[in-house]
Amino acid sequence: MTRAGVFARKELRDLGRHRIVWILGATLALAVVIAVVVASLAFRAQMADYQAYVADLASSGSAVTAAAPQLFPLQLLRGGLEYVEIIGALFAIVVGYGTIAREAARGTLPLIYTRSHGPRALVIGKLLGIAAFWAALVTVLVLVAGVTVALVGGSGLTVADAFRLAIAAAAAWVYLMFWSAVAVGLTATMRRPGTALILALGLWLAIVLIVPQIGDTMDPDNQVPGGLFKALAIAKPDELAVLAHFSHYEVTRNGLEVTSISKLFERISFGFLGIKDKYNQQSLGFVWADMYRYTWAMLALLTAGLGFAVSVTTRTRLLRKTA
Amino acid sequence: MSVLAVVAGHELLASRRLRSPRVLMSMFVAMVAAASFIGWLTQRTVSGVYRQVLADGLTAQPDPFASVAPMYFARNTVIYVVMIGTLMAAVLGVQSALRDRRAGTADLVLTRPPGVRVVLAGRLSGLAVLLAGVVGASTLASWIAISLVVGAPVSVADSFRLVAWGGVTWVLLVGFAALGMWAGLHVRRETSALVAPVVAWAVIAFVIPQLGTAARPVSLLNPVATPPQTTGVFHMLSYLTGPASITEHFKTLSTAILEGPAWGLPVGSLAVVLVFAAVMVGAVLLTPAARLRGASDD
Repeated sequence: MTRAGVFARKELRDLGRHRIVWILGATLALAVVIAVVVASLAFRAQMADYQAYVADLASSGSAVTAAAPQLFPLQLLRGGLEYVEIIGALFAIVVGYGTIAREAARGTLPLIYTRSHGPRALVIGKLLGIAAFWAALVTVLVLVAGVTVALVGGSGLTVADAFRLAIAAAAAWVYLMFWSAVAVGLTATMRRPGTALILALGLWLAIVLIVPQIGDTMDPDNQVPGGLFKALAIAKPDELAVLAHFSHYEVTRNGLEVTSISKLFERISFGFLGIKDKYNQQSLGFVWADMYRYTWAMLALLTAGLGFAVSVTTRTRLLRKTA
Repeated sequence: MSVLAVVAGHELLASRRLRSPRVLMSMFVAMVAAASFIGWLTQRTVSGVYRQVLADGLTAQPDPFASVAPMYFARNTVIYVVMIGTLMAAVLGVQSALRDRRAGTADLVLTRPPGVRVVLAGRLSGLAVLLAGVVGASTLASWIAISLVVGAPVSVADSFRLVAWGGVTWVLLVGFAALGMWAGLHVRRETSALVAPVVAWAVIAFVIPQLGTAARPVSLLNPVATPPQTTGVFHMLSYLTGPASITEHFKTLSTAILEGPAWGLPVGSLAVVLVFAAVMVGAVLLTPAARLRGASDD
């Protein structure tokens, strides 16, 4: 086994032993389950309202019919994905930070560097260990979410649904790896690990919460409850024609949003799972045509994050910290 | 000078010296100032969209933003308090508790007569003064930004609304600073002490309100509180979880203070924010001296 492989296996074992990692993983899984349960109950309430409405119509002798609400099981996962987007990123930072801070606290780094191995073997090994950890956790989350949808939502997933879910899971893995890699790099760069954690927290605030929030605030349709265009009774084609007059504003707003990896993850996962109405029940090819740019951007950001972690996590920096 | 004032003064000095929480403080004040401009830019665009819709003959509805009150532009600042302000306060609280544990100076401090309650009260007072400064700066930034956006100084009545809102914000932030300090005193590892209040914040801001409102997590980042469900299982859940939805109560309170009628203060929401701060401050003050002495593990 290569040195990096040894470090990866050790990292994975360390993560499994760390209580905080179990607590955070369980919290995330619980949040995902709660989100699916809440979405399922909300759908049931919507269905009950519909049935009461139909009964009222029937008793009044009305011939008018109303379309029944339709359940799309993958749409029940929306809240769970938002939890991965917000809380998952935070946990990924803690995992990435912990991988370097733990060694610094134990004083094991000088011992590790008494052995001969490649200059990047330690960091590459640690990142591989983290990658395996996130792959395992994301798989567990997908299974938990799938079972909850089947049990509470009352609707099993088809093979096609499972494939779409696997794509969303891959996007989640990329997203979480990005945050862990950034945290590894920041922790290696800072003299005090605690400072790195606070800086990573600031970065998380900016990228996960503030930038998407500014984008949402700038969306004209979000300014009126229920949507501006619905309030003004404007049809979708007319809405697009009107917005064409404000293309610079829209380009700026959209550009701001896509600088956030959180928004990229959201768009990709919502697209492939059909959570966004435009992509619901559409073919994968149709979704991919709109999502490939976001996918490449997300992969480029992951590469940048990994590159940052590998380039700054040097022997000199790590040993300086323990001096 | 009393011992409490000395401890508070030292806390103020030490917290101001910390570089990383200072980044969060600057981020908070900057975003509060920017929020009004973002709101103005959006409102201007929405009015432009409306004029275009009207010119194209697509609607006969009145302009939904025809007469926007100046305090509308302060609306978005509420969410930055919930997102950045509370986390900044929690980090300040954690750092305050960990500082002595790292340096091992608690043993020395506690050999002096005042006792652990006075030391903790002094630290909380120092943090409260620091937070009052940050909230004051952000309120002033908001006042200036709104005045620039509307092209005239904010009226005296609206200025009072901003100051009252600043007061409520300060109470909420003191509560979160105490939550952070409590975590810093009671959690053994430094990493866990920093993460614990953030997890608590995520549960308070997202998970608990979701149970009572069926709202999605991201939609809870709306500056206006999501109304609780009034039927079915969510009605019961909102009854149970309502008092713990502290950030939602803060949003309700903020909307009432900034935009509502002068007599329409939601007393229940005010009580929830006050009780939260009082409980967290009480929990810190009841911490035994032994908790101050343990060194952090990482």
